Amino acid sequence: MTLPILPTTVVGSYSMPGWLERLKTEYFVRRISRHDLDEIHDTAVKADIKDQEVAGLDIITDGEARRDNMIDYFVERLPGVQIDRSSKKFYYDFYDSVVQGKLPMASLGLAGDFKFLRMFTEREAKICITGAHCLSKRIRNQHYASEEALAMDLARVFNLELKELVKAGARYIQIDEPYFSGFPEDLPWAVKALNAMVDGVAAKIAVHICYGNRYGKPSWEGSYRYLFPTILGAKVQQLTMEFARRGGEDLDLFKEFNPPFDLGVGVIDVKSHDVETPDLVAERIRKALEVLPPERIFILPDCGLFHLPRDVAFAKLNAMVEGTRLVRAELGN
Amino acid sequence: MILQLNHLHGKAAAATQEVTEALYGLLEDGHIEQSEFARLRIQLDWLQYKKNFREVVLVTRGQGSGDDPSPIMHVQVDTRQVVTGCLKPAMLRAMLRSDAQSARCAAEDRLALEEFQPFRTSIAWEFNRLFWHRLKDWEAATGKNYQQALPGGQSDANHPDAVADGVADFWTLLRDLENKQRLPAEIFIMEIGVGTGQRCALFIDRFQALDGQRGTNYYPRLRVLLGDYSLHSLDRSRAAVQKHIDLCSFMVLDALNPLKTLSFLRHKILHVHLTNVYDNLPNDEVLRRDGKLYFIQSRAYLPMAEAARLAQKYGLPAEKMRTLVGRLLEGGPDYLGDYERGMGFWMDAWEAMRLEERLVPIEELVDSTFPPGLDVAKLEDILQEAPSDLRFALSSGALESFYNTIPLLYPRGYLQVQDIFVTDFNQYRLGFHGPGKMDGSIVNWVNGVLLREVGERAGYDVHFAPFHYRKGSRTSILYTTQRE
Repeated sequence: MTLPILPTTVVGSYSMPGWLERLKTEYFVRRISRHDLDEIHDTAVKADIKDQEVAGLDIITDGEARRDNMIDYFVERLPGVQIDRSSKKFYYDFYDSVVQGKLPMASLGLAGDFKFLRMFTEREAKICITGAHCLSKRIRNQHYASEEALAMDLARVFNLELKELVKAGARYIQIDEPYFSGFPEDLPWAVKALNAMVDGVAAKIAVHICYGNRYGKPSWEGSYRYLFPTILGAKVQQLTMEFARRGGEDLDLFKEFNPPFDLGVGVIDVKSHDVETPDLVAERIRKALEVLPPERIFILPDCGLFHLPRDVAFAKLNAMVEGTRLVRAELGN
Repeated sequence: MILQLNHLHGKAAAATQEVTEALYGLLEDGHIEQSEFARLRIQLDWLQYKKNFREVVLVTRGQGSGDDPSPIMHVQVDTRQVVTGCLKPAMLRAMLRSDAQSARCAAEDRLALEEFQPFRTSIAWEFNRLFWHRLKDWEAATGKNYQQALPGGQSDANHPDAVADGVADFWTLLRDLENKQRLPAEIFIMEIGVGTGQRCALFIDRFQALDGQRGTNYYPRLRVLLGDYSLHSLDRSRAAVQKHIDLCSFMVLDALNPLKTLSFLRHKILHVHLTNVYDNLPNDEVLRRDGKLYFIQSRAYLPMAEAARLAQKYGLPAEKMRTLVGRLLEGGPDYLGDYERGMGFWMDAWEAMRLEERLVPIEELVDSTFPPGLDVAKLEDILQEAPSDLRFALSSGALESFYNTIPLLYPRGYLQVQDIFVTDFNQYRLGFHGPGKMDGSIVNWVNGVLLREVGERAGYDVHFAPFHYRKGSRTSILYTTQRE
């Protein structure tokens, strides 16, 4: 499938409706069964797919309605990680998890999610996986000599999983590493872990680096300057970053360092309920075009749409697509 | 019947006995049906606020809901106001009157100033607003600074040790952020509800001293925002912070929604402080009865005898009293032409005003009844561990303010609120928590349990620490930490 110029996509999650939050909590307190919850998730995913298609996105995800959060969905699948199931108050909280021995190699079953997505859309599809650095910050380490060692072993397990995903037909894979911004001092080994994770994975790999979106608010502030030049050693094809909320100043880093990556440009502020106009989106894209040619730019929201109300998220995606079309027209497409 | 003694005030023992006697008398005289008696709840309070909105007996009725639509009755007695021998007739009057209310007509001995509605939209809050807008006039008329009405005669906000500790915590945060190279170039802090400005001045003085002593040079980077909806307070605080005036900005803002004024500072403010603001924001109350929830609607009124007295004292037509009160609230004390007369009318009408109530099953309400961050489903979840019979504050305004303030916080920034908080639902069964009258304003204890729950869902852990700087203080300090 050929993508248009300035392809549009999401960072991963789509809006989590209040009713689904409530049903997840109902499951968590044992008021509905796992079977019912799985069926609810399937239905929600189909609705998320449809919304993205109707909004006109070129590459879509399953909306991540099945995930409690970006950590637990993976931690729960990792053999060798113990979870205290009583440690959550809300479904969205993180479990307390601990690793006390070497992680065994095992399939995490994520290919099933991707196949489900493929079954219900003919658009290009993307799957997003939380990166080894981020997971190593949330899993309490009682076995490995260092966080780095844990991250490298997580990368080894996930590398197998990514290859399974490619076998299942995944052509676009995004690794989420928001904790890079929280722990810039880790970057040298975090990039090593990222590279181990994607080694030999035959897909277009993006790494998403933002300033956090937990509870719909930033976890850190600063400049993306900390990424350079270390990030240049990442064996990925794309960086996706937030520019809508923070402004486009850091785009200049792409001029200064001329990295070999495509850029996923965040043009939608996911921490505000105000819906951008297509003109504003277009303006943000034009700013990115000052530093990179259109062939190297993808258009996305700043981060996942998880915390936005459904109608707001949908309207924002529509504005994003419409704004992109304005710029495409200016470029003669 | 369940008799709920909501206080442990020894002086009320005799009154408590009289309540039981009065009830049996009413039952024997046929004023209470047997079936009604079985479901009756009597709540005995000791209202610590000498000026308040209650008569000695307040009977609140409502229709049951769901599978049990029979009417329910909730009787509240202020044991402080009980006069020996007078309780039974007072109780009977209140019951008959509440019957009239349920028939949607006002009792003859009261002049209603509004229709039944959520308390947060009651005319009582218009009085409260007038007080803060015309604070200077009120203080001139009473000859007292408003802080003199506070317990202890001064605001806990200005306690130098509390301020010093607050400054030390804030400086530590700045140093931590600087060590991680995350300290922004401009260090925004904000105080909402600045009062006299004294606390803010103390804070900046102390900060400047500590910064100088430690050589960190943060002081010139401070940007201090002082917000209040009273221009008079802002003017007064301007004088208090004169030494640091170049760092300060003053703004009229709505404490319910600071974000409305300051959206350009979303995620940029490192520290927000409020003292005695939440307890003065519009509130609603909810009654949980046999596990079911009822919203309490209220209606402000003047006892007819008081209305007649005011009419005579100020030479006003008694039949137009409702309109006159409305115009006073729109135009202030000048409205009556003669300022002195207007001030007198305002103060007397406020003192005489009372609130009556009715219950509405919560399922009949729309979601907008609830403050942002809360809805019926969430409230029911929160109440799972709470007592099944309970009357509690929804703290609508405090929740709204909280919800609309935290988006202003910089990552790792924090909110600090000094106020009177209920931190456990059981406390609502151990004392009266408002509303009361404090000078010309309203005071309500703030439901800290709900703040904690709403905070958690919005990404902040909410903690409460006792204000240990003044012996006997009932103030607590709320502070937030970022939830991971």
